[in-house]
Amino acid sequence: MRIEGSEQVEEAVSLAQQAEWQDITPIEQEEGEGSMCPIAYTDEYRELMGYLRAVMAVGEVSERALALTARVIEENPGHYTVWVYRKRLVEELESDIAEELDWVCDISCKFPKNYQLWHHRESLVTRLWAPSNALLVSEDQRITNPVLRRELQFLDAAIDEDSKNFHAWSYRQWLVSTYALWTQELAFVDTMINQDVRNNSAWNQRYFAILANRNPSVVRLEADVAKSEIEYVVEHIKLAPNNDSPWSYVTGLLLRHAPSMLYTDLLPRIKQLAADNAYQAAMTLTPFYWSALLDIYEQQSADHPDLKKQLIDESSAICDQLASETDIIHCRYWNFRKTSLDTC
Amino acid sequence: MTMFGTNQLLVDKHVEFIQNLDKKQDGLEYWMTEHLRVSGIYWGLVALFLLDRPQALDHEQIIAYVRGCQNADGGFGGHTNHDSHLLYTMSSVQILSMLNALDQIDGKKVTKYVLSLQQTNKQTNGQTTVCGDVWGEHDTRFAFIAMAVLSFFNTQDQLDTNGIVEYIRGAMNYDGGFGSKPGGESHAAQVYTCVAALAVAGRLDVVDRDRLSGWLAERQLLCGGMNGRPQKLEDVCYAWWVGSALDILRRRHWISAEKLVEFVVSAQDENGGIADRPGDVADVYHTCFGIAGLSLVRYPGLNEVDPVYCMPRSVVKRLGLHKWQDKVPKSWSQ
Repeated sequence: MRIEGSEQVEEAVSLAQQAEWQDITPIEQEEGEGSMCPIAYTDEYRELMGYLRAVMAVGEVSERALALTARVIEENPGHYTVWVYRKRLVEELESDIAEELDWVCDISCKFPKNYQLWHHRESLVTRLWAPSNALLVSEDQRITNPVLRRELQFLDAAIDEDSKNFHAWSYRQWLVSTYALWTQELAFVDTMINQDVRNNSAWNQRYFAILANRNPSVVRLEADVAKSEIEYVVEHIKLAPNNDSPWSYVTGLLLRHAPSMLYTDLLPRIKQLAADNAYQAAMTLTPFYWSALLDIYEQQSADHPDLKKQLIDESSAICDQLASETDIIHCRYWNFRKTSLDTC
Repeated sequence: MTMFGTNQLLVDKHVEFIQNLDKKQDGLEYWMTEHLRVSGIYWGLVALFLLDRPQALDHEQIIAYVRGCQNADGGFGGHTNHDSHLLYTMSSVQILSMLNALDQIDGKKVTKYVLSLQQTNKQTNGQTTVCGDVWGEHDTRFAFIAMAVLSFFNTQDQLDTNGIVEYIRGAMNYDGGFGSKPGGESHAAQVYTCVAALAVAGRLDVVDRDRLSGWLAERQLLCGGMNGRPQKLEDVCYAWWVGSALDILRRRHWISAEKLVEFVVSAQDENGGIADRPGDVADVYHTCFGIAGLSLVRYPGLNEVDPVYCMPRSVVKRLGLHKWQDKVPKSWSQ
């Protein structure tokens, strides 16, 4: 059991001076003659690493080794080897996992961009509450369980700190997927999208929540779900028409899972929006509206060859407009799109 | 005047910057990055090779150092006496091949190490994952590295290529991009690793070429720089991650090379090195990927870089690894 107070006292005194460490000879980093990468350390870090190398070399499993890994990680959390060793120590010492999770929280506060801590957390949580046991109770019981509630709170804090933290969202997907927390996820995603409609990570998570671990290649979206998503997207496009994510989300979603609804349902809604006085200017100026039209017309002419000529003419004009006015930086791309229209 | 006008790449300054990297031993950053020292050397070496100054670092010294990073399990650590990891195994193999010293290590041992990280007994949906190390983290990057590393030794047939390809397919998103694992948000660096892996596997048919190319082209912002995903800031390293993927897809011409060059060149430090964006502090990672990005758009004076292996094309050809190009779908010619 770690004794918090003594750790603080230890920090002030070098390990070499401590009775507890007298039996260990630290292993100095090899910096041979003509070494191409001689490394300078602060004295403290150098000493910590020396002792760490020594205990790792003999595979020591002890509380003092565990405390040492904490100190090294607190200095240099990017050092991946230390995390592996710590994981093993926590397992073999049967340390209190809840306390360990609290310690990880502290690391996260100090180093919000560190990514090793997520994987460490994953292994701790699955040990604390095996998924196979968790899945025996209802989702409501799962989210109110202290283990998962703590994880969701931890995630809230991390995503609050950096709403696009790639590793946090990835961990969230692992948690939701492993513990089947699907029902609450869509509500969470909605909150995040409403906080920042431009958060691409949140829109990606929406797709994840809707798919709910089903294999994408076999999912056909029910018409009412698709319509509801179209409405949701249109409402959020209104907030910021020149925003990639909702456009990309809805065209991607429908292309994959309800392609004909691109032109039967999405097309009239966005045209309606573009005709609306309040949004007309913004819609005309955003490349994403015009790009969506191209995607929609492409699908429509594939499904309805009789409309092909007319749709190609319209698409061609859109490409010209994008290349010359609306989205000049991507003109090469739009010029290509134009040349490939005939071959659709 | 070249097509890039007066955009000047400060070649001599960058060479000096790279040479001085191991002399900055009093810097905090230096020992904090000890665990990825091998990758740091790889980044510096690629930059020098592309700048056509390969002799600017001592080859024998580097070879001895890298060999010293190999562990008993056959893998390489980020520094001497560091545990093995796929990332550093990749950097080590890349370094040794550039220095023509690949035959100094036992390819069978490296193969064995890489295979040990493949998770064939935990498949879902026919997907085979690859872990980065014994810790068990899996990511599409590691799937790529496994395939790439084994290709150096011509042992990639020992991998469950079909299973790995299914894993990568699973990581393909509704926007045509790829994430770090199935469901993960599309990110340009992951796009590169997935597309490069599929190139090595000869399975570029998996990619939604048009949708992905469009997504990649859209990474270029008005300032000419690229971002890694929508609504994020431009960063010099994406000149490589985005450019290489577009190159493999045979769509390099979809971005404005002139504007990209302007951006990368403006992120240079006048004392050497390239930063993530203009005005920030230079580092070897951004120096490497900025120069590699410029090489992709044929900035004059730079050696050509291979978009799959991020090494000079001449080295890739010498190793016989350029054959991935023969497996690109025939209909993809530019």
